Amino acid sequence: MTAPPLRATYSLVDHHGTPVTERTYRGRWQLVQFGFTSCRVVCPRALAKLDDVLDRLGAHAAAVAPLYVTVDPDRDTPERMKAFLGATHPRFTGLTGTAQQTGDAAASFRVFTRRRATPAGYDVQHTAITYLLDPDAAPARYWSDTRTAEAIATDLAALLTAPRA
Amino acid sequence: MSDGVLTREQLGHLRHWDNLSRQLPNDWSQMHGKGVSQDDFGGYRFQLAYMVYGLALAHRHQLPAAPGLFAPTIRRLIEKLLMPEVWLYWRDVSRGGSVFNAHLSDRLGEEWDPVARDNIMYSAYVQSCAALHDQLFGTDHYAAPGSLTFRHWSFFWGGPEKRFAYDRDSLTEHLYWLMVESGYLGVACEPNCVFQICNQPAILGFRLHDQITGGTRADDVVAGYEKAWADFGRLDAGGHYAMMISEDTREVRPNERPSPWVDAWCGALMNTWNHDFVHRHYRRQVADFLEPGPDGTLSVPSAPARQVMGQEIVSDTCDLGWVAAWASEMGDRETLDGLLAHADRFMNPTWRDGGLHYSRNDTPADPDGRRTEIEPMSGNVLLGYARLNVPDGLRGIYQQPWPAGHHEEPRLTAVDRDVEVSRAEVVDGVLHARLRRDRTVPGDGTVTLAGLPAGARLRLGGAEITPRVRFVLDVPDGPAVDLVAAS
Repeated sequence: MTAPPLRATYSLVDHHGTPVTERTYRGRWQLVQFGFTSCRVVCPRALAKLDDVLDRLGAHAAAVAPLYVTVDPDRDTPERMKAFLGATHPRFTGLTGTAQQTGDAAASFRVFTRRRATPAGYDVQHTAITYLLDPDAAPARYWSDTRTAEAIATDLAALLTAPRA
Repeated sequence: MSDGVLTREQLGHLRHWDNLSRQLPNDWSQMHGKGVSQDDFGGYRFQLAYMVYGLALAHRHQLPAAPGLFAPTIRRLIEKLLMPEVWLYWRDVSRGGSVFNAHLSDRLGEEWDPVARDNIMYSAYVQSCAALHDQLFGTDHYAAPGSLTFRHWSFFWGGPEKRFAYDRDSLTEHLYWLMVESGYLGVACEPNCVFQICNQPAILGFRLHDQITGGTRADDVVAGYEKAWADFGRLDAGGHYAMMISEDTREVRPNERPSPWVDAWCGALMNTWNHDFVHRHYRRQVADFLEPGPDGTLSVPSAPARQVMGQEIVSDTCDLGWVAAWASEMGDRETLDGLLAHADRFMNPTWRDGGLHYSRNDTPADPDGRRTEIEPMSGNVLLGYARLNVPDGLRGIYQQPWPAGHHEEPRLTAVDRDVEVSRAEVVDGVLHARLRRDRTVPGDGTVTLAGLPAGARLRLGGAEITPRVRFVLDVPDGPAVDLVAAS
């Protein structure tokens, strides 16, 4: 698989309220998932799968920065993301920002998002691709929603253990 | 096909496609539809692409040991598909202004690159035809950088040369990410107009590319596509295929008249990955469109031309042709035979230079009310496609790549233009072919063999022969002869 044709740039704040960009995590492999904390089906499944991936990586997981980027900045404040991830997926760092910032981030990863009215208010349809940026913050891989934890972990382990020029 | 041998009519369609592929650059004789500016089914892109699809079906299912008959024709058709006359419409259409996107025209600019955004009604055919070629013939011909280049320059207008270089892999990657950005709902044709139908060739292209490179794009896209369309439903309230969805409003446009081509085109293509669904609805859907005629003939009346903004829409419906193609894919022999019988009786089958086609006729019906109207897309391409297809034929290409070792088997690796091949298959390691010299077209009358075991013996017309040039056979004049090549 070749590197995906993405800009893969962002300027957001993490769930501690600290401004971050894709360069903040240079030196580590960024495992990036877009979603929102109110998501009932797709995101819980994706995050659980990525937890499984990190488990499978064992000690190599230390080289990975798992990031969860919101597509619902109106509700996903840093505090809310911190509480949500801390309780359910503590290895992930949540990233949020203004609507403009999160929209720009989604566009740079070519993520589809669309707000949809529901009886409870709204949800946000979004692409559930998992992205990987290399330690230089360049796009390296992506995995579609249909890839299993085992398949992603196998790919990722091969990258983490391969000698780098 | 009769007893493993193509019929005269099937051979006539193959010859006609070969003849069209050999027309001089920008000679589009016999291919002009009713409309202007490559609108709708009058566009050359559809005829060119579905000739490639039809050739692929014929090779995969009818003449698997004759790559040399098909590969050059497919390459010539793809070369035509890349010609500016085929895609320059996009420079204008990209600006919007149709009744579906008039409100967007202020923000839409002129786009020369015909595959950069939207226009899946063209880009997916370039992608899928190139992938079909490379998958069927076991080659990376269209993986070469720039092998799919869109180029235009005119001495008289337009400024500097426009050149947009792609190849099989880069175009596939590009279309995949357009799909991702759409949330897998699909890429638009005209701006804002996402047709179910026109995204099916892209899915076929993804699958073929996966077969070549080992990827999983088709499965990814189909999974996303299923989820995206679940909100809207693939069928409309009348049980026919939803035609399109507007990107901005998410308004679904049903097959409201209903128009036969919508269901037929969509069903014939979607069967590749969605067999059970398509087959489950086929009988009920097609029954709405068929009109019985004399002696078992069947016709397909078209819905009256629509009036929009005080204008009558001028277009080639291709209804009968598309229903024939659909029936062939569904394995509905009775319907297919009825439609072909109607075409043969009422639509003026014409033989020229050894090829069979049904010339364009804009007269709706004869004095008895029998449909006589036929469009270049139907008469040049779709009726031949239907005749050469087999039940679930396109699905077979999608689901079942050649078995391992196919490309090393005994085969006709080159076929001169004046040789008609009505059988070419390998049975228990032995190549069987039926060949006829056709003096109505020019050529040297030879076929070239490859993949034969050492010491292979050749029998032509029952007599053992030794070619004057190793593996190059002269096909004799006269009736068709059988070639058997065995160790």
